[in-house]
Amino acid sequence: MKIERFDLIIVGAGPSGLSAAIEAAKRGMKVVVFDENARPGGQLFKQIHKFFGSKEHKAKIRGFHIGEQLLQEARDAGVKVELNATVVGLYQDREVVVRMGEEVHHFKGDAVIIATGASENMVLFDGWNLPGVMGAGAAQTLMNLYGVKPGEKVLMLGSGNVGLVVSFQLLQAGCDVVALVDAAPKIGGYGVHAAKVARTGVPFYLSHTIKKVEGTDHVTGVTIAQVDNHFQFIEGTEKHFDVDTVCVAVGLSPMSQLLKMAGCEMEDNPKRGGQVPIIDDYGKTSVPGIFSAGDVSGIEEASSAMIEGRMAGVAAAEYLGFMTADEKKTELDKLSTSLESLRQGMFAPKNRGKNITETEEGIPISTNLLSKGFVADDEIERYPGVIHKAGIHPVIECTQNIPCNPCQDACNQGCISIGDNITALPISVKDSKCINCGMCVASCPGQAIFLVDEDTGDGKASITLPYEFLPLPEVGAKGKALSRKGEPVCDAEVVKVRSSKAFDNTSLLTISVPKEYAMKARFFKAE
Amino acid sequence: MGRISQHPILGVQNEEKKIVTFKYDGKDMQGYEGEPIAAALKANGVMVHRYTMKQHKPRGIFCAIGRCTDCVMVVDGEPNVRTCMTPLKEGMDVRTQYGVSDKPFDQQ
Repeated sequence: MKIERFDLIIVGAGPSGLSAAIEAAKRGMKVVVFDENARPGGQLFKQIHKFFGSKEHKAKIRGFHIGEQLLQEARDAGVKVELNATVVGLYQDREVVVRMGEEVHHFKGDAVIIATGASENMVLFDGWNLPGVMGAGAAQTLMNLYGVKPGEKVLMLGSGNVGLVVSFQLLQAGCDVVALVDAAPKIGGYGVHAAKVARTGVPFYLSHTIKKVEGTDHVTGVTIAQVDNHFQFIEGTEKHFDVDTVCVAVGLSPMSQLLKMAGCEMEDNPKRGGQVPIIDDYGKTSVPGIFSAGDVSGIEEASSAMIEGRMAGVAAAEYLGFMTADEKKTELDKLSTSLESLRQGMFAPKNRGKNITETEEGIPISTNLLSKGFVADDEIERYPGVIHKAGIHPVIECTQNIPCNPCQDACNQGCISIGDNITALPISVKDSKCINCGMCVASCPGQAIFLVDEDTGDGKASITLPYEFLPLPEVGAKGKALSRKGEPVCDAEVVKVRSSKAFDNTSLLTISVPKEYAMKARFFKAE
Repeated sequence: MGRISQHPILGVQNEEKKIVTFKYDGKDMQGYEGEPIAAALKANGVMVHRYTMKQHKPRGIFCAIGRCTDCVMVVDGEPNVRTCMTPLKEGMDVRTQYGVSDKPFDQQ
């Protein structure tokens, strides 16, 4: 039996695995990445939304474009990726067993990095395995990779970022999202992700869950009901929806089986999403030469996975003598700073499960946002992004501390200020002159920025809003302005439509509404 | 169900792909060459991929990334093929799977 040797073997060609490979290859290591899929990139190519973070984290760039950049960087670094190659075993002395087609091959790595990611969780309800019930990730795969609609009428279970983002993507694919449901009393994901779904008219049902999915051969309907504090159904609260599809987004679990198999010390850590290896800050496990990175060692998101991957790549390079301890320290310090800044704010891993009622600035969090998906009219005025002044100006409806600041970089007029603290709420600067360029509106990954002119002179106000749906309304189109809640509030006419390469497929729709609706109208629905 | 022809972010989808004809339970069906068999079936409105061995319950696409094996079918005579991971080819013979074998229940 022939065993091929590599300096470093990486399992998983997703964001963290590729990032690790790039760092290692740059240091002259002989690296191979195995992945069971037919294409590299993991789940990145299904992420069509703009990412959060700051410039160094590639904020405001869409996930699939980040994937393309990462693949290019891997090619430039000379990384070898073996696709359709399933790693089925990790044995003593880092022997890696890989199934390729009908054959099983053996490899040996002086170091091994496990970057296998995570798989979707499921909840059991009557009918959970009927055709038409699928993971939110499955829906994302069908529509964003293969251009196939997952269904026509969809109910989403789960209000974490995956549930919220995939709901929005279902709307973009032309599906009807009839409801977003979560057993928890509060929305789990970013408020801005919820708000952009809510304003299109999708109702949120918190403290509700699925009682039964109906259908004989496939889904024809679903019944949800309210739950009490102990997650028990409350009699008489049932609501029925005719749907053909139910998407489930109830979290992810690390796929850490290979690490366990290799004898790495493991722990059951709910904050990290389940069975995870015990690792140091840079991915080193208890078994010499074996490292882990990305979701397999704790569920976060792609941006942090990419940094963790680079850390593990650097750590493995130093472990094998491809860089000095000093060089390693310099690199890791840089990466740690970058990672730390992503792990700040209300949604940081360290804050999971905490009941946060105020922002860092001491402003009460919108309770409507947490329970219904939108900030109420009487709540929105208290945030520093929401101001009133004559002429056009940005109104930034960003009300939770999340690590994100592209809006500040987007405005070269100084109208938006976040400061050095990346999680601070953006301030709409009163003493500044907006030139109506629209860059802030297009750059906000949360689609939370609107350009408002409260009085355009004729009893009207104009609102410029981000729009990522088809068909794109034309100038002169008439319809209804929808509120943050997604309810029609007044007549509206489209007065300007802007699309530009710099906006990266976010179109800017300017609508004219009666001026008393300047702070209420936040979406447009054509007649 | 059907295809998304125009997408606000991804643009025109599947434009350059070749259309191939395959058989689904003996009937002619069309899809794009190289897409997962499951995607082609979904686009054609097929929901049921197999029936379970003991209780004969229907199963379809569930994870779409090769983990759950709910979408397995009989492909070119071979049972238990993950249709979400297997690329579609011209002339493929795709059949509903009954249990874990390549035969219908009454012939097992």
